[in-house]
Amino acid sequence: MSQRPDGSGKGPSHRLRFGAGLLVGTILVAAVGHRLLTTALGETARFGEDRRAVISLRALTDVVARAGSGEAVRTVVAGFAKWHPQVAATRVVLFDGISLEASTDPADTGENAPPRRLKREEKDLYDRGQRLRAAIETNRAEGGGRKDEVEKERLPDGSVSLAAPIERDGEVVGLVETRRVPPPPAPRPSLLTTLSYVVVPVLLFALLSLVIGERRVALGILAALLLAGTAWGYGAQSWAKLSRARTALEASVAEQVKTSAARGQELLGALPATAAPLAEAPPPGTAPEAAPAIPPAPLDPASWDSDAFRRPLGLSDGAGNVDEAKVASALEEAKRTVTRTTVLLGALALVLVGFIGLGGLAALLGTLKTHRVAYSYVLPAMFGMILLVFFPFVYGIILSFTDQTIYNSSAPLTEIWVGFQNYVSILTDFKVARTAADGGIIFNYQNFYWTLWITIAWTVTNVTYGVVVGLILALVLNTKGLAMKPAYRVLLILPWAMPNYITALIWQGMFHQQFGVVNQVVQMFGMDPVSWFEKPATSFFTAWATNGWLSFPFMMVISLGALQSIPSDLYEAARVDGATRWQQFRSITLPSLKPALVPAVILSVVWTFNMFNIIFLVTAGEPAGSTEILITQSYKFAFQKYQYGYAAAYSTVIFGILLIYGVFQNRMTKGTEAI
Amino acid sequence: MKISRLALPLLFAALAAPALAQKDVVVWHAYRAEEKAALEKIVAAYNQVNAARGVKVTTLAVPYDAFADKITAAVPRGKGPDIFIYAQDRLGGWIEAGKTVEPIDFFLDKATTARFIPTTMEAMTYRGTVYGLPLNYKVITLIYNKKLLPAPPKTSKELVAMAKKLTDAKSGRFGLAYSYSDFYYHAALQNAFGGRVFDPGPKPVLNAPENVKALELLMRWFTVDGILPAEPSTALITSLFNGGKAAMVFSGPWFLGEIAKEIDFGLAPLPTIDEAGGKPMRPWMTVEGVYIAAPSKNKDAAYDFVKHLTDTPQAKVMALEGRQTPANQAVYSDAAVSGDKILSAFRKQVEVAVPMPNLPEMTMVWSPATTAMNTIVKKSATPKAAMDQAQQAVLKDVAALRKN
Repeated sequence: MSQRPDGSGKGPSHRLRFGAGLLVGTILVAAVGHRLLTTALGETARFGEDRRAVISLRALTDVVARAGSGEAVRTVVAGFAKWHPQVAATRVVLFDGISLEASTDPADTGENAPPRRLKREEKDLYDRGQRLRAAIETNRAEGGGRKDEVEKERLPDGSVSLAAPIERDGEVVGLVETRRVPPPPAPRPSLLTTLSYVVVPVLLFALLSLVIGERRVALGILAALLLAGTAWGYGAQSWAKLSRARTALEASVAEQVKTSAARGQELLGALPATAAPLAEAPPPGTAPEAAPAIPPAPLDPASWDSDAFRRPLGLSDGAGNVDEAKVASALEEAKRTVTRTTVLLGALALVLVGFIGLGGLAALLGTLKTHRVAYSYVLPAMFGMILLVFFPFVYGIILSFTDQTIYNSSAPLTEIWVGFQNYVSILTDFKVARTAADGGIIFNYQNFYWTLWITIAWTVTNVTYGVVVGLILALVLNTKGLAMKPAYRVLLILPWAMPNYITALIWQGMFHQQFGVVNQVVQMFGMDPVSWFEKPATSFFTAWATNGWLSFPFMMVISLGALQSIPSDLYEAARVDGATRWQQFRSITLPSLKPALVPAVILSVVWTFNMFNIIFLVTAGEPAGSTEILITQSYKFAFQKYQYGYAAAYSTVIFGILLIYGVFQNRMTKGTEAI
Repeated sequence: MKISRLALPLLFAALAAPALAQKDVVVWHAYRAEEKAALEKIVAAYNQVNAARGVKVTTLAVPYDAFADKITAAVPRGKGPDIFIYAQDRLGGWIEAGKTVEPIDFFLDKATTARFIPTTMEAMTYRGTVYGLPLNYKVITLIYNKKLLPAPPKTSKELVAMAKKLTDAKSGRFGLAYSYSDFYYHAALQNAFGGRVFDPGPKPVLNAPENVKALELLMRWFTVDGILPAEPSTALITSLFNGGKAAMVFSGPWFLGEIAKEIDFGLAPLPTIDEAGGKPMRPWMTVEGVYIAAPSKNKDAAYDFVKHLTDTPQAKVMALEGRQTPANQAVYSDAAVSGDKILSAFRKQVEVAVPMPNLPEMTMVWSPATTAMNTIVKKSATPKAAMDQAQQAVLKDVAALRKN
């Protein structure tokens, strides 16, 4: 990008800038659009391939189910293989006896010819069948579609392996697996067409700008219009290609259903009409009479075009007629996606044009060049921060917009996207309390606002206690001529020095109702032992006591440092003027402490707000989750209830609260910093 | 020179070839002391016999607290063992998370399945597929002080009558002491009434009428009959029993190690509940299973060892030297095992025991159930109200997990 040196006298060339902007913008639109179109066409082609594969597989499976076992199955499979050259191998496994009933795999001939028991290396095939059986049971029991009932696996060489369960009398008795050769590659959009979407607008701009001259606003409008036109044009032609592909696909899928139905009927007809597929031996004592030949149940072709949970897509009936209305609505949805993407892309490109055209890029490059030494110093640290801080942070925020749980942790995030739903359910749940039958108030301890209240109360009480006690002890330690000052200092810092995990557990033990020291002392004074973790108030007190003991050393050290930096002649002057000790404290000591104490208080507020260890280890939220703070509640959601998305939203809310506090506190302290 | 340079690596390769064919099977367990020694004895014997086939089994003791999390983190990434031994309560979660436990239906035959007490095989099964072989089980049973109680009660009426005679709350003596506010221990009473946590589905049914009836009986024992102490922590129960102040305790094999040497204790099956129509108390059993890790590269060799470990001679070693109660049925016909009063007592109890659910939804039940038990025994809520609340909490969590 050209950068005019200062004082050239000519000023920046708007034509050049807008032209460059338009070039970059159209390249963005064309390149991204081309990529998206290729992917979409590929996906559509694959979608069609998969559906055709599933249809013929399910047709085969239905016929095999009616064939039963033995030679009949092998005949059916052989007949199926004849008609489907694109199927490399078909295998039928029955659970009873772990047997390979039929196979058209070239490796399964001679010694390995079916029927035979599966070999150890073929355990995966058997497990696949069991997985399908368990999936059907799970989906039926849970009343939904959570596990795949037809498994599709793309092998590394591009071929697709499909497996479907064989159901007989409501029970899964085996599976049919087919391996299809890789499908032909999908048609790709022409590169030349895409290039034209770059070249034509830029040329147009070049020509028209000669007419317009150096007028900034007019040039800007022209560039914007040309870009919008490019985006719209590319979007429209993409949509035309996609809808054509999709319509053709639906027709071919409907055709496939019709053909499969016909072939399936033929295979069925060729089966020997038996009494029943799983014919049992007649009970002893009765003469085996010629059982009436029951024709196998009719096939249901309309159900073959289905999704992974064997739910029919319903886009065509069994006879080859496409359901126009349903296809039209599916197309409508796809059109909406294309429109949205085009608008987004166009907007992004427009921003780019504006940025470059109005001189933003030139300014940026200028800054980088002027300060390149500074930037090169910052770069390594920025790199580390991005990797260790920003990336996990951003990932957490993205996760909070999904509803990821342990069950769908391998699903791509776009599939489980729920937008702001987690935040809404956290922040708009106002059912904090309700009146019980006897008139008392029952609080809902799982509610966000109760937890927020506890967290704020926790923070305020702890920081107050820490500051007050720390300050008092610092004043005591600061007296001139105090004996054994180093010893006192060491003793008073010990609570802070010891690992708070261990001390928290010790404190929890001290509050034990029966064996704890605190209750022994209480009993010494003649009072009844208190069951500390039974009521919210006493439970909160235990945690507060523990954290108070842990937190005052920090405040004491800060205050001590600040106290020692106050010049003593201030106090002398005050004494000469006749100020009392209290007036000295208020007018000299406190204002001098503010610059040191205020940052310490901010730090302490943030630490205490997120003090996971104490609450988790001392009270564990007892009783019934009433003393949970936001961070421990978030932990419980993530690792006990396995709701990762919800917990991420919770954590982001905590961050939001602390961010607001930090900014607000910063503004407040700027005014109180001066002595 | 050139030829010999090439020859050397080839020579090494040739020598290493039989070593390359060796199969290493790594077993992780959380055992200490006698159990660990017994397991290592079995492994050493196995290695000796199978050295010719090139199979070598090594064990690694992992601390119990970190065991489950280590499996969850390491195994799916292929960094775990080939075999691991753990209780069945986390099985459902591991199966749903995927890539952790290998189904072994393919290897099983009827003879192997028939080896085990049927309910222990149930504990290893999830949605109709078997994921491991059961090694041992733990159940709670009735442990009583023989000096205070010459003969244990067989029915709940006898239990209350005998316990009342031995209870004097003021001096801190109780007829019966057990962690009745712990849902795990209470399950024994609950299951006697036909109560349960999940219906098939799984559908949570914490507030089923049978569960409420069981809780009402418990509260009767506590408040009306007064035979139970308040705030029953494990420390309290141990100290009461060892001080001769508790005549009967419902607890499991873990309690036996805490009993003081002076106490002459006996074991008996939990009494039947007259209020439930004479049905026996059915405690939950925790079954330790031996599982094969899904990413293992030596599944055949692993299964071979798993089958060997759960076979009868090895079960005898684990029983007599490891002090476990094996899930293998045949081992109890052995004279040494059937003569051991502890082993035979637990064997009798497990006949009526029910495997603890191995569903992933089970982890969501503990917290609301414990809360409910606490509110009930502190009399802050009626059994029905508390269980209704617990049921709501569990339903909400299960629904949040399933919505897709």
